[in-house]
Amino acid sequence: MSTSRDAILTRLRDNRPDPKAHPLPPVARLGDMDNGQARFENSLQILGGQVLERQEGDTLATAIARRFPDSKIICSAVPDFDGTIRIEELGTPQQAASVDVLVVRSPFGIAEMGSIYLSEAQLKDLNSAAHLTQHIVVILSAKNLTANMHTAYMDRPEFHTANYGVLMSGPSATADIQGVLIRGAQGVRTLSVWWED
Amino acid sequence: MKVKPVNHAKAAEEFIEDTAHMDFHDERLWDLRQKRDEQMHILPEWQELRARASAIKEHTLANLPEYLEQFEANAKKNGIHVHWAADGAEHNRIVGEILEKHGAKSLIKSKSMVTEECCMREYLEPRGVVVTETDLGERIQQLDNQMPSHIVVPAVHKLIPDVAKIFAEHYHTDPNDSSAQSLAWQQRLAARPVILSADAGMTGGNFVVAETGSFVVCTNEGNADLSATVPGLHIATIGIERLVPRMADMGVFIRMLSRSALGSPITQYTTHFRGPQKGSEMHVVLVDNGRSHRLGMEDFWTSLKCIRCGACMNTCPVYRRSGGLSYGAVYSGPIGAIIDPTFNERKYSTLPFASTMNGSCTNVCPVKINIHEQLYKWRRVLAEHHELPFVKREVMHMAGKLMGQPTLYRAAINSTEVALSTMPRFVLYNWLNPWGKHRELPHPVKQTFHSWYKQNRLKTKKKEGESA
Repeated sequence: MSTSRDAILTRLRDNRPDPKAHPLPPVARLGDMDNGQARFENSLQILGGQVLERQEGDTLATAIARRFPDSKIICSAVPDFDGTIRIEELGTPQQAASVDVLVVRSPFGIAEMGSIYLSEAQLKDLNSAAHLTQHIVVILSAKNLTANMHTAYMDRPEFHTANYGVLMSGPSATADIQGVLIRGAQGVRTLSVWWED
Repeated sequence: MKVKPVNHAKAAEEFIEDTAHMDFHDERLWDLRQKRDEQMHILPEWQELRARASAIKEHTLANLPEYLEQFEANAKKNGIHVHWAADGAEHNRIVGEILEKHGAKSLIKSKSMVTEECCMREYLEPRGVVVTETDLGERIQQLDNQMPSHIVVPAVHKLIPDVAKIFAEHYHTDPNDSSAQSLAWQQRLAARPVILSADAGMTGGNFVVAETGSFVVCTNEGNADLSATVPGLHIATIGIERLVPRMADMGVFIRMLSRSALGSPITQYTTHFRGPQKGSEMHVVLVDNGRSHRLGMEDFWTSLKCIRCGACMNTCPVYRRSGGLSYGAVYSGPIGAIIDPTFNERKYSTLPFASTMNGSCTNVCPVKINIHEQLYKWRRVLAEHHELPFVKREVMHMAGKLMGQPTLYRAAINSTEVALSTMPRFVLYNWLNPWGKHRELPHPVKQTFHSWYKQNRLKTKKKEGESA
């Protein structure tokens, strides 16, 4: 079984350029260090995401009801919101296909990109739910914004611990047919952020 | 029988005949190039990012055996099954065996150039596995029985009516559908049941992180995440050159990948796989297929730095006006022209000539591959290995003689200017000069730089010298 492995590694050792001539540069923390909510919202909008509107007296439930009036199955992955079904009640990855709106809390967002992060910890081990649901509402705290990709990869422990970790930057999209940009391709059709502070 | 070289020029000629398609192709890719420029100008640190990306990749390639071993050890610790494939045939066999063990008959997959390299679909389908591409562009190409024509936008050479026709045939939709929106919706409707009933999912991998034993997949449609999270079995096929040492290095690459590719700040999905999800099994197949050999090629090993953004294709005037399919290879455009000959020198001997040598590919490359210099070096290698067509060989032979002797060269250049202004068209635009096709030769200049320099600068210098 290991013959190809050994042959490949041996050939790489024989053929490689001199390692001493190619030192590893130190890790870089570059670019704009603004981790503000305004920068995040601007980036989110560029990638087709939106901020869920909060009117006077709104709760998350009323805001969702106004934004998605036709939705029947609202699935909650957070303890502080009920929905019509809890994510733990979905038995298989496939069952998540019935969900209209998934509500989930993200541990951090990236201001540079308007990205939100989700792992199996937030998705209660049902990672497919983030992609099979028609729409996703992400609860995020402005306190948990990191400035850019460098600060995210250097400071967030999740990249070293989660088995599955996705940065979603707006909804799914494609421009594969004659260059026409379409938001809502194979995955979520919309992505909305709900500020919890 | 010896394999015939790809006739890129002839295929390109056919592509050019269809003005509507060519014009769209040209404009669409140039638009991507311009969007890339806008993104580049937003970041003052762009050149520093490029320099770092290049240095990280060169370091990793020079230490690749150690980093591969580190990745393997960490991935296994995380519960990933790691396989090694020396070539495409071994890769296909490994994938086939994994599927067989699970009794998997349907495989959904996201875009992976390595599986194209290995001709995996052609291997699996006769063995009873239905393979479904889930990326929209790749699916269009699969239904149309064509290779992807671009590594990022596989069906960029097609227009809406082409897609409507293909979908009508396979999805029984309206053949006259003229809306990209509704066609994309048809794909979503057609793909969902296939995704939900699939036995196994497959993705590629844009980056592999040695430190954590993870791999990173970048897509826009969300189809890789669906392929990886819905079925209970996830196989990732990845080229061995995709390593980076540390998770912290990812910032440099993610900040440039989609900006270089499509001019968007980041792909809609950037997914980090570090181990199987609950109730699922994960396999990584590390594919060599000529890469370890390429690492030993002094002039060409840096092509392994490529992160497959496609920026060199979008900017290349030859690619934009000849279409990816004309290269007759898995990898097209400038990057294809320097890596395809490592797979088959004779078959792809024509590709390094599909360039004007303007160097734009090198300028836009986020990992600083000297693409146009490698194109030039490939021409020399191919000439030495006698892989040049007769006319090119003779013309280059004459050119070599001419350029080797300054006096002869200057005499010839002066007479070229005379020739351009006086010779009848049929002498300049004939079959010996394929550059004359579809293209006007430059207007002759009144005076060459050399003779101007002789007249003016040398005179001035002399004067300065005299006064001093």
